[in-house]
Amino acid sequence: MPRRANSSAHPLWIIGAIVVLIFSIGGGYFFFKTANDPYRTLTPLDVHAYLENSNSLRGNVYKLDATVADSLAWSPVAGRLYSVDVTSGGDMLAVMIPAQFNQINIQKGQRFYFRLEVGERGILQVKDLKKV
Amino acid sequence: MKLTLAVLLGMSSALCVWAQGPEPQPAPAAPRANPPTPASSPGFLGKDLPAFNPGNELFTWDGKNWSISNNRVFEARFEKYLNAPEESSEDEKKYRRIIREILDKLSPKTFSTKSVDEAFRLLSKASDFEIDAHLCDSLGDAVYSAWRAMDANQRLAQANEGLEQERKQHEWNSQMAANEDHVEAPPHNKDAAAAWNKEQQLKRDTRMHPYVTRLAEVMALIKSNQLKKELSELQTKIEFQALIMQLFLQRRFEHVLIATRFYRGVFGDGDTQLRVGKDAKSFFARTAGAPPTVSTLDALANEAIRDVREGVQAYEFLVEKNELESASKRLGEAFVVGEYLPEIRTLPREKKRLALEFTQQANQLVSAIEVKDYTLAEKLVHQLESSAKDFDNSKPMAAIETAKTVSAMHLAKARNAAVSGDKTTLEDELKAATEIWPRNPALAQVSGLIFKQADVQQQALVDFDQLLSQHNYRQILENRVRFIAASALYPDRQEKLAKVLHDMEIIEGAIIRSSEIAKHGDYAGAWETVEKVSRQFSDDSKLNQVRADLTTEAAEFVRTLRTAQQMEERDQVGSSLGWYLKAQKIYPASEFAKEGVDRLTKKVMPTEG
Repeated sequence: MPRRANSSAHPLWIIGAIVVLIFSIGGGYFFFKTANDPYRTLTPLDVHAYLENSNSLRGNVYKLDATVADSLAWSPVAGRLYSVDVTSGGDMLAVMIPAQFNQINIQKGQRFYFRLEVGERGILQVKDLKKV
Repeated sequence: MKLTLAVLLGMSSALCVWAQGPEPQPAPAAPRANPPTPASSPGFLGKDLPAFNPGNELFTWDGKNWSISNNRVFEARFEKYLNAPEESSEDEKKYRRIIREILDKLSPKTFSTKSVDEAFRLLSKASDFEIDAHLCDSLGDAVYSAWRAMDANQRLAQANEGLEQERKQHEWNSQMAANEDHVEAPPHNKDAAAAWNKEQQLKRDTRMHPYVTRLAEVMALIKSNQLKKELSELQTKIEFQALIMQLFLQRRFEHVLIATRFYRGVFGDGDTQLRVGKDAKSFFARTAGAPPTVSTLDALANEAIRDVREGVQAYEFLVEKNELESASKRLGEAFVVGEYLPEIRTLPREKKRLALEFTQQANQLVSAIEVKDYTLAEKLVHQLESSAKDFDNSKPMAAIETAKTVSAMHLAKARNAAVSGDKTTLEDELKAATEIWPRNPALAQVSGLIFKQADVQQQALVDFDQLLSQHNYRQILENRVRFIAASALYPDRQEKLAKVLHDMEIIEGAIIRSSEIAKHGDYAGAWETVEKVSRQFSDDSKLNQVRADLTTEAAEFVRTLRTAQQMEERDQVGSSLGWYLKAQKIYPASEFAKEGVDRLTKKVMPTEG
């Protein structure tokens, strides 16, 4: 009987394909994520340092990924003050969203990317925000 | 008769109590029996004659009153008598026999000159005994003086008889001289006859003159002697009567009988009327209904002797019946009248001692009531009730119970005044209670209680002030009952105490609430509960302890909140707000966190309401 030719793929090839696939997915995710962060060039806010001495960070601009926790105050002129739950670390911060963003609907539980500046007396003044 | 006797005995008692002074008796309102007529001028024994009221046993004299059985002199003499042995020695028996013999010899049944002389001789024998106090000597002297006076009167009578003879002789001589015959005839001439007659008259007068003069002298001598005799007799009678009166007043009734019988023997003229002062005479006349005589005194003395004898017999009978009160009274009355009579002097001491114990206790009872020692008085009343079945406790018990009730009322008022802080009333009521019953045991008890209460109160106030200055409110709370009572009279302290207790109420409330919250595992909430209070009352140790325990249990929340507060203090508004929000995340109901957030929010957005 004639010897049949071996038609199945070599296992090494299969393992390599899986690795390539995984890397492809991870890279795609990372790319997607990075491409989706509008403030990827900004330095994330060092929440720990901020909480220790907010005044020392005055004038600096940072980005912050946080979820809206509660509305603390509102003024048609000054804007809105929200408490936000920092995504990484679970700390709570207060951010001042000026009146210029009044058209943006901000609700409790919404996650945002904030571009913000440490203002007078360490108040975080939102310069821009994007809903995640 | 008995009343007169009592009156006269009252006079003698008056002499006994002369130096003692009056005892305070409720006599001003007491009725007086037969009040004596006031004398016109004050005399040796005062303005009034003494009077004795048998109804209340009060003796009234010169505006003062004595209880005849309740005065120190009587008590002392009576107790001395009750303690003394009976007079039963041979000497005393002999003396009694002599006195009896004298009385018998002077008795009207055997009365004669011989018996009077024999009685007179026995007087000197009787006076040899000490018990007689030489009264028989005095009596013998009086009798002898009277006899001497009577002898002198006899001699005056004899002298008058001689003078009478002489008078008669001089009268006869005078008549003879006047009637002498004329030997010469008168002249016829009218003028010469007139001159002759005149000459004859002159001669007759000259002859009669010596007889007439002597006659007048003799008449004068006779009258003078008669007057002397009468005066001498009267003086002797008065002296004798004075001695009888004196013996009567001394209650020497046997001597009175002897004296009156001698009097009748010496003065046989039947004149026995007593020559006493106008007041005494009028007094006798009013009480006895007749002018006083020696016989009156004799009858009174006999009556007194009989009365004493009956008194002693009554005493012996009452003692047998265990009626000691009446027995003692009867013996006391008999003793007052007949202290020197044989019935009294010979009563055996063993019989007298029964009355002595009762009398001593009765006197002690009177003294106890006088000094207002009602505890002792009540005890004595019970003793007397048990020892004498006839003891009338109504008067002493009425006095005791009244005093006790009034004293208790004053003490109750004092207690109320002490409670209400009315010092003036307290002092007044305590003083009144003390005056009514100085030895009231409750008085010392109440006084001690009040003073102790004052001490405790003062100590409590000192403690309160000290604890207040130390902010040791918890100690004040623990002793609040003591401090509430102590500060009742001090409004300023009351106010402070009220504030302390109110604060402690808040603290205790917070501790209880935190304990309940902690039981549910909400340590942050429990901590916050005590933290809020501890900020106000940081000195309370218990609160601090609870707070410290809960700080450990809710460490993360506390640390977060305190960091927030520290940041707020440093004007790190952003950081502080972040920490407050974190604390709120840990304990959403946290008031501190909410307040911190609100406070800082206002800083961030000042226009925001």
